[in-house]
Amino acid sequence: MKIDCAFVGRVLRAFIREELNKAGFRRGLLGLSGGLDSAVAAALAAGALGPKNVLGLILPYGRSFPGDVEDAQLLARRLKIRSRVLDIAPMVDAYFRAVPTADRTRRGNKMARERMSVLYDFSVREKALIIGTSNKSELLIGYGTIHGDLACAVNPLGDLYKTQVRQLAAHLRLPAKILRKKPTAGLWPGQTDESEIGLSYEELDRILYRLVDLRLSRAEVVGEGFAASRVDRILDRIKRSQFKRCLPPIAKISGRTIGHDFLYPYDWGR
Amino acid sequence: MRIALAQMSPVLGDVNRNLKLHKTLIDQAVRKRAEVIVFPELSLTGYKLRDLTGETALAPGTSPVFGELLKLSRRIAIVVGFVEASEAGHHHNAAAFLSGGRTLHVHRKVFLPNFGMFEEARFFAPGRDFETFDSPLGRTGLMICRDLLHLSAGYALQAGGVETVIVISAAPGRGSAGRSAGAFATSRMWERMGETLSFFTSSFVVYCNRAGFEDGAAFAGGSFVCAPSGRLLAKAAYAERDFILVDIDRSEVVRARKTWPWTRDDKPEVMLHALQRILSRHED
Repeated sequence: MKIDCAFVGRVLRAFIREELNKAGFRRGLLGLSGGLDSAVAAALAAGALGPKNVLGLILPYGRSFPGDVEDAQLLARRLKIRSRVLDIAPMVDAYFRAVPTADRTRRGNKMARERMSVLYDFSVREKALIIGTSNKSELLIGYGTIHGDLACAVNPLGDLYKTQVRQLAAHLRLPAKILRKKPTAGLWPGQTDESEIGLSYEELDRILYRLVDLRLSRAEVVGEGFAASRVDRILDRIKRSQFKRCLPPIAKISGRTIGHDFLYPYDWGR
Repeated sequence: MRIALAQMSPVLGDVNRNLKLHKTLIDQAVRKRAEVIVFPELSLTGYKLRDLTGETALAPGTSPVFGELLKLSRRIAIVVGFVEASEAGHHHNAAAFLSGGRTLHVHRKVFLPNFGMFEEARFFAPGRDFETFDSPLGRTGLMICRDLLHLSAGYALQAGGVETVIVISAAPGRGSAGRSAGAFATSRMWERMGETLSFFTSSFVVYCNRAGFEDGAAFAGGSFVCAPSGRLLAKAAYAERDFILVDIDRSEVVRARKTWPWTRDDKPEVMLHALQRILSRHED
């Protein structure tokens, strides 16, 4: 699972530059959480487009994670990209005053979608496309909010497992504090990805790599010494989150239907 | 004999803009005194066409786009990739060799990849032959991308007396090739196949791949030319646009065949007999 970081970095920077240019854009923006994935995406974007053409939006919910805001600001300064802090608490709180809940998932999803809503507004305001930050590990197990943090115009990290994003982060010499940070979706204090998913990213990625990249069967992966219960849980998560990786199905009535047999490439005419 | 390899990135589904891009690169090759310029697979249309396949298809005999390229071919021989509209109403992934204002040959891709990320057989009809023809590069054979990965295709060209094999390609890169290879893992596969075919056939192998991105897939670049007997003469950059000029000495073919007389000792009649026997007992 080792990657050639210099080469992968070069390809991803070219991908960001060419995809944006083909769509008629010179600028990109992304949400900066203070974590590893958005830091790597920001560094790649800065290299691809020039730091002045990248805007990092730091979108905390009130003062729940002051350390993350500082880390994101430090990163923006280090990369010399533009940044802006915007508190989403007034928008989120206004909604939950009308529709109160203590459900952490609902509150977390609402925050993720509020950030998406701000990013898309700034996309028009800044004439900039949104660079996604979801990695292959979380996309495969569905660890993300649909129409929230999963929403973007281009995704440079979606074919890199979390542990590969870490390799790239080290290669890009990102601040040590960000490299060492425990991964978290930041939906509530004390939350970490690994406690929620129930295993470490190292183990998750090794199992995913075998199931997905090497196309090994469940039995083959278990045969290599991975716990059957963990392999089953991952397989179940992959299957249950397929809807997050596809456009919703369209009921077919006519002889030519979007998503069925109206088949044009994404980069049509570009 | 100087060959230009245009490792370019066409606009997906826009033949007119691509024709302009071809003209610019042809001018560049002429200025550099190249006698042949090779473009990648589907260079006039882009690769991931899907429903654009029929909308971008051209008939070489009547198309104004070919009219312009044929005019330019009086100054330099041109190998170009396009969607061919056949008289039967089918579409082929095709390569044309244009020289001296004439179309010397059109090859229709025989082996259409149709697995994993590839879906060519869903949109293209397969070609049915590997023919050689005379060109400024001697006895010449054309292949398109996946054709090169079939031993039988290379053999058919060898049996046809090939001296220069031209492979046009739109190969996406896959796999990170170790710690510091600076290339996709799949690029090495193409190089091995090219080296091997040049050895098997004592011929030049000219491999022109493309660059750029389509729907997130990166084309791997790494175009190359092998002299007879596997010697690498030149290689273009990996995974980015490039334009390289390669000087070849056609007498190397004869010299290679003096050292290794494999083409002299070939026995196509034995192969034909063996294939007929195999086919007569073949069960699917």
